Amino acid sequence: MRAIWFVSQIALFGLIASRMIAIPDYFRYYVSGLSVMTLYSAAIFIGFDIYEEAEHGVFEYLLSLPVSRRQLVLGRSIGGGLRSFIYVGPLIAISLYVIGAINPLSFLVSLFALFLFSFGVSGMSITIAVMIKSSDRFDIFMGVLDALIVRLSTAMYPLAIVQAANPVYGGLASFNPITYAADLFRWGTGIESIITLQNPLVPLLGIIAFFSFFTFVGVVIYDKSIEGGGWQ
Amino acid sequence: MKAILHILEHDFRNFFRYKWWLVGLISMNLADLFIMAVVYNYMLSDKAGITNYFNFFAPGLAVTGLFASAFMIGREINMERRREVHHYMLSLPMTRLELAIGRVLSGGLRGMLYMTPLLVTCFVFVGFPSIWQLFLILAVLFLLAIGISGLSIAIAVSTSSLEKFITARGLVYYTLFFCSSVFYPLSLIQDLGREGKFPAFLVTLAEINPLSTASDMIRNFLLGSPPFFPSSLLNVLAFSAIFTFGAAFAYMKIIERK
Repeated sequence: MRAIWFVSQIALFGLIASRMIAIPDYFRYYVSGLSVMTLYSAAIFIGFDIYEEAEHGVFEYLLSLPVSRRQLVLGRSIGGGLRSFIYVGPLIAISLYVIGAINPLSFLVSLFALFLFSFGVSGMSITIAVMIKSSDRFDIFMGVLDALIVRLSTAMYPLAIVQAANPVYGGLASFNPITYAADLFRWGTGIESIITLQNPLVPLLGIIAFFSFFTFVGVVIYDKSIEGGGWQ
Repeated sequence: MKAILHILEHDFRNFFRYKWWLVGLISMNLADLFIMAVVYNYMLSDKAGITNYFNFFAPGLAVTGLFASAFMIGREINMERRREVHHYMLSLPMTRLELAIGRVLSGGLRGMLYMTPLLVTCFVFVGFPSIWQLFLILAVLFLLAIGISGLSIAIAVSTSSLEKFITARGLVYYTLFFCSSVFYPLSLIQDLGREGKFPAFLVTLAEINPLSTASDMIRNFLLGSPPFFPSSLLNVLAFSAIFTFGAAFAYMKIIERK
């Protein structure tokens, strides 16, 4: 389903919308942003697994394993990020083919940032899932969050345009992990001329902060919520 | 008639069970309009022939909302089939035809209900149509809604698993959404077709797509462009007739077999 969405977004929406947009090379810009959006929505899915495990009694089994709570949540966060990365890997390969040439070193840095980004999103999803404790509310919350976090980012449009359209939107987009990931991915794939990225270190630090915050906050909240059937 | 009303009541009760999910969906639609469309306003090229993307997109958003919500009935019918709830539905004291027409009609009416706040938002921000134009808009959207409901029911009863239904739904969704004038003017798709960059059959699909007809008709009434040809309403009429009767027939025949 997600592959159909991804391919139709590139082959239909991206191709036609790039005609409508005045930004040069918007098609490549859009395709790279789409890869990050897809990675985000794939990494979110680990939160739904938490509810499924609780429903089927797998949670008790996981708690009985000879690993600490911290190892458990860190493993889940990294596992969720890694599996989404593997899942989205072929789609990223398609987008790289569409985007064209890359600088290998920059690309490796941006790929590392995407890894951290997907771990961070998985950690965020686990944290929210454990806090909300209702799969329906989680579904709604993540839907609304997805709508805001993706649209208030540079996944679909450059930051300068967002700021020109609305300074509040621009301010929010400047501190958005999807903006950091999308800008770094574009920098890595060699289309940074469109995004006017002054210093790739800034988004890289932003991604590291996002990953660290949700992984370690996730560990603490998970640790406090799961004992004595607290997730139910 | 009374039996159809019972089916409508049943399906509307189901619909309101997901009220928070619907609130989430509406907020996503509004984020598209108040964030994405506002930002796209600042990126438009002269080729697009649009002066204000927000105004252009608002009618298209109402149509996409209608499509997504009218399609929800298919998911419920697919679930009923998998969980064998359809045996209960077949045991109800009503004819198969009443049952099938009730399901198609309720899917369409639920779509209309969901779409109403999006259409009102469109009117508030873009402009109000005349009373006759409003009647025509509602009539066309209603025909479109029951056609979409029929299409989703036809897919739901023809697919044996949720995965197959979701995959088929994805194909239909994205093909009909993106090969239409919901997000961009039809002229852009036609230009790409003339340049050989877009398959001719997809250009034809965009031209006869009922989503294009409905979006462009509302735009014409509110913005004065693109041109509206009353003959294009035949696309909506044909779509609605084919899928309403096709789905009613498929629903009666296929669920009896299982």
